[in-house]
Amino acid sequence: MKRIFIIFVNMIIMAAILSFVVLYSRIASAEAYQRQIEHFENTTVTMERVTENYLEGEQRICDVWARYINNKTMTMEEATEYISASHVLGISSAHLLRLDTLTGLSTRPRQGTTDDYAVSYERVALLEDASWIDEIGKSINITRAYTNPMNGEQSLAFCNKISLYDQGSKSFVDAVLLRVIPISELEKKWVFPQTEHENAELAMIDANGDYILKGYSYKNSSFFEFYKSYNQTDTESSAKLFDMITSSTGSVSMQNSHGQECVLAFTPVAATAGWTLLGLVPAEDLNKDTENWLLFGVVSVGLLVLFLSDVFYVLYLNKRLQISAREAESANKAKTDFLSTMSHDIRTPMNAIIGLTTIAEKNLGDTESTRESLRKISLASNHLLTLINDILDISKVESGKLKMSPLTFSLLEMVENLVNMSQPMIKEKQIEFQFRVEQMEKEWLYADQLRLNQIYINILSNAIKYTEPGGSVNVLMREEQSEKPDCIRLTYVVADTGIGMSQEYMTNMYQPFSRQIDSRVNSIQGTGLGLAITKQMVDLFGGTIECQSEQDKGTTFTVALDLSVADRQRDEKRPKTFDVLIVGDDQIMLQAEREGDTPLRYKIQELVGEGATSAEPEDDHSDLRGMRVLVAEDIDINWEIVSNMLQMYGIESERAENGRVCVDMMSKAEEGKYDLIFMDVQMPEMNGLDATKAIRKLENPWAASIPIIAMTADAFSENITECMNAGMNGHIAKPIDLKLVIKEIRRIKDGAALS
Amino acid sequence: MKKMICLLLAVTMLLGLVACDSKKQEEKGQEGFVPALDTSVKSHINVAGGYDNFEALEKEFDRFNEFYPDVELVYTKIDDYNNMVGTVLNGNDAPDIYVNNSWMYGREQYKSAIDHAEDLSDPALGLDLDCIRRNIILKTQDGSLPMVPVFSSTNGMLVNKDLFEKEGLSVPSTYEELVSVCKAFCDKGYKSPVMGFVIKEKTSLYSLMSYPFFCSTVAKDAQAIKKLNALDRSAGEYMRPTLEMMERFLGDGCVDPTACAAIENNYDAVILRFFEGDVPMMICSGDAVSGTRKRESVSEAFTAHPFAYSFVPIPTSKEGAYFLDLPNLQFSVNKESKELAVANEFMRFLITSRELSEMAKNKGLMSPTKDLSFNSMYAAFGDIPESRILSPEEFGLTDDAVTQLRKAVYGFSTGELTMDEAIAGFGTYE
Repeated sequence: MKRIFIIFVNMIIMAAILSFVVLYSRIASAEAYQRQIEHFENTTVTMERVTENYLEGEQRICDVWARYINNKTMTMEEATEYISASHVLGISSAHLLRLDTLTGLSTRPRQGTTDDYAVSYERVALLEDASWIDEIGKSINITRAYTNPMNGEQSLAFCNKISLYDQGSKSFVDAVLLRVIPISELEKKWVFPQTEHENAELAMIDANGDYILKGYSYKNSSFFEFYKSYNQTDTESSAKLFDMITSSTGSVSMQNSHGQECVLAFTPVAATAGWTLLGLVPAEDLNKDTENWLLFGVVSVGLLVLFLSDVFYVLYLNKRLQISAREAESANKAKTDFLSTMSHDIRTPMNAIIGLTTIAEKNLGDTESTRESLRKISLASNHLLTLINDILDISKVESGKLKMSPLTFSLLEMVENLVNMSQPMIKEKQIEFQFRVEQMEKEWLYADQLRLNQIYINILSNAIKYTEPGGSVNVLMREEQSEKPDCIRLTYVVADTGIGMSQEYMTNMYQPFSRQIDSRVNSIQGTGLGLAITKQMVDLFGGTIECQSEQDKGTTFTVALDLSVADRQRDEKRPKTFDVLIVGDDQIMLQAEREGDTPLRYKIQELVGEGATSAEPEDDHSDLRGMRVLVAEDIDINWEIVSNMLQMYGIESERAENGRVCVDMMSKAEEGKYDLIFMDVQMPEMNGLDATKAIRKLENPWAASIPIIAMTADAFSENITECMNAGMNGHIAKPIDLKLVIKEIRRIKDGAALS
Repeated sequence: MKKMICLLLAVTMLLGLVACDSKKQEEKGQEGFVPALDTSVKSHINVAGGYDNFEALEKEFDRFNEFYPDVELVYTKIDDYNNMVGTVLNGNDAPDIYVNNSWMYGREQYKSAIDHAEDLSDPALGLDLDCIRRNIILKTQDGSLPMVPVFSSTNGMLVNKDLFEKEGLSVPSTYEELVSVCKAFCDKGYKSPVMGFVIKEKTSLYSLMSYPFFCSTVAKDAQAIKKLNALDRSAGEYMRPTLEMMERFLGDGCVDPTACAAIENNYDAVILRFFEGDVPMMICSGDAVSGTRKRESVSEAFTAHPFAYSFVPIPTSKEGAYFLDLPNLQFSVNKESKELAVANEFMRFLITSRELSEMAKNKGLMSPTKDLSFNSMYAAFGDIPESRILSPEEFGLTDDAVTQLRKAVYGFSTGELTMDEAIAGFGTYE
């Protein structure tokens, strides 16, 4: 409705503008047309003067002859001879006629003869009444167009009455001298200037409307009859019009014989009695101003283009709004679906935790049952933690808040992590695992290690998860040349012999919460977010992820990322290629392309657990006994968990309720009182970051340099970066993984020992 | 839906355009004339004649210009036409087409007018001569056709159809009916049911009435024609049946010569008298009929009380009327014309039933075409059977013989001569 209204308003505006243009054009055109008519009238008047000059000139010649003849007492023969000798005849001729017989002599012989000069006007119906011929010199005496009886040419004649001496009667007889001019000659001269009015034609009429001369467009022998034949008029109107035409100068509109609208300009021929000069021109010749129509055309086209542009732009905006609305609706639905799915997926492990806790409480006396319940509670808790982490990750990715936090890291350490993390499951499922590294030249890279690790772990853990016992998982990590400067292309290929994926599922496999419908899949724990997160993160890295899969045969994922090379690199030589093979029961095979006891080889051996250091048993925590740790934690239950956990390992702990208390305690503590600090971040009064900064600024060097490990639920990479930037030495995410805590304590402890 | 509407509109527009175009094609097809020359040809054609005005021809120029817009056609009036046409044809202003007269055949004085004429019977010219009545297409003795009639003329009477209708009478088709109708009109108070010009012999109602009848009596008698043309005095006897018919006519009280004497001339006065509205029948020539339309507005009586009228043949015998078929105006093409091709093309355009009828109607004259239904004014002549159509030039009666007849009839009808005196005077009238 609104759109129609806008279009309607637009059209009204366009119509108004066009109406104005048309109106303006018409007024301008009418004015121009009027000017042209006036100009045509003026041209006709000019032509009248030219005509008058010509007629007067011709008449004057006739007058001179007549005066001479009258003064000299000439016979007809003598007068004829005199005129012939005057040499001013040119193409014209002269006829001398006795008025009583209308016969006489011509200065030119009859057509087809050489000596017949006799001429007769008896049948010409021109001079029966000669009273219209005025005295010599008084006016122009001109005949109508008539047929020259000597040669048959249509002619005009200038006349004068003369007296000729008749030798027979010995007396003077009245005669007429005619200076005869062919009309064909006149027509050549008597035309409108071609440059001004190409199609205009002249006519000269007498007082009765009969033509003296006429152009082609003038019909009939009388202009008045011509007018009446082709124009609607009544007797009274036509009489008035003819009176006006023969008595004034002006112009009127009339139709010619073709029904064409014409302008008739008229003006009296001053030197004649009642003659009128007429000019007739097609009206369209005077109305040729096309500029206004050009203006109209340009404005019309312009407005139309503007209008169409507006319409299409409005339509485009509408379409975009519709798309946005659909997207919003879709997003809303996705959010609802997400919450619904999330609710379901969270409630499932929660149900296990709560249910098993209840069972454990009921069976406190049954140690075996309680242990089994606690084991299952632990599994459900881990799954819940993974789910929460994934949900947070996917939320951040989809909201666009996930930012890269690049750090310099060791690729080898990352490989270590990958192998370490995968080992338990590989061992458990008796899967043949091969990790092959090819062309590895750059150990230290600069990238978001956490996200990179997440990508590789997700793909590897999926491969292991969905590979049946006895199957195999092959990992290939290959360094290639990158097109980006100062980068390498790290290609990570994970191929398994697992259950594979259907083609149908593969089209949606990167959608959140998508899981293949398969009874074997249902038995495997998963959030359905792993691949979605992986894909988003690969995109964030600007890399590519490809998948080839066949149901019951296996899946191969290939991830290619361009990663910046860090400035720091090891100098030592290292093998470019090595394989790690794990075939269950700790049977590990290491292969290296280039043999030799290089540090890197040892490092690798160290990574995969071969050789040197497997002496330290997992249950031996004696090295930690006696350590003292300050825990900055505002939540009582968290403090209780941490303190109890540490106590299990013989580590003493003290609590600071917030950051300020922690700083105070450190500023007052004696040197060596604490080995390290576990610092929560979000605390009242002073948060962990500010507290760390404050501690690092303490005067006591020991206090200022004490290792501080973040222990916080802020688990994203940017949170880790913030912690490190604040001066902390490590990061442990809540919920606390005891193994990680011990590992971190050992790392700190070992670092202190080394230093 | 919008696409459908757009498509529908586009198809409608297309069909409309196609329909308009086909209508145009149809209209063009109906006109029949197909230009044979390049229609962009530029030319100037001069048609010469003796008429002061020839608006009917100028209208044909305009119609021709629809096919050939760049051909300028001009009509030029030649003074003293019959005498000057030869001079004009030999001069600098020689016309491309000119008015000619078949009576000039064989006369040395007019030899030039015949010699300059192209043979229009040449099939290559493509003239539709079949549309013209055969008896007025007059060839020379050598079989060539220097001219074709564009108008024809005849004698007849204008009848006031409203008056007939008012009085409950029918237009007569036989002499008996004529007398009967006249008596009926007289009974209703009409002093002279038949009127005409009587002051002068030429075109008097006596001449106009007697001429067709006379032709019917001699048309098939070659001996009589020969003697009449020779102005043999003994040929006067051939006039007796005609004079007897006139005697009967005058005696039957159809016409009041005294009333007719008030009509001053054989043209304007005849027409204006007829337009007074109280004359049931006005005998006149076809030339006078051509002037009626223009004079309708001149007549105050007719303007005040217009009525329907037409021109019908005069029923002079019990068998009916005779149609005296005379070529009125004939056109020749100057074979030395510089624009001969265009002049011939114009003639090919003009010499068709449609154009000749159109031009004759505009001029108010009778068309030379076989089909006379185009103009209701002359339609009654189309009903005359061919056996009663008489063309003096066809059977060879000369103007001189006709002049003798006119003078004898006029003298007898006005009472100046007895019948025997009139007959005896044949060949002696000047």
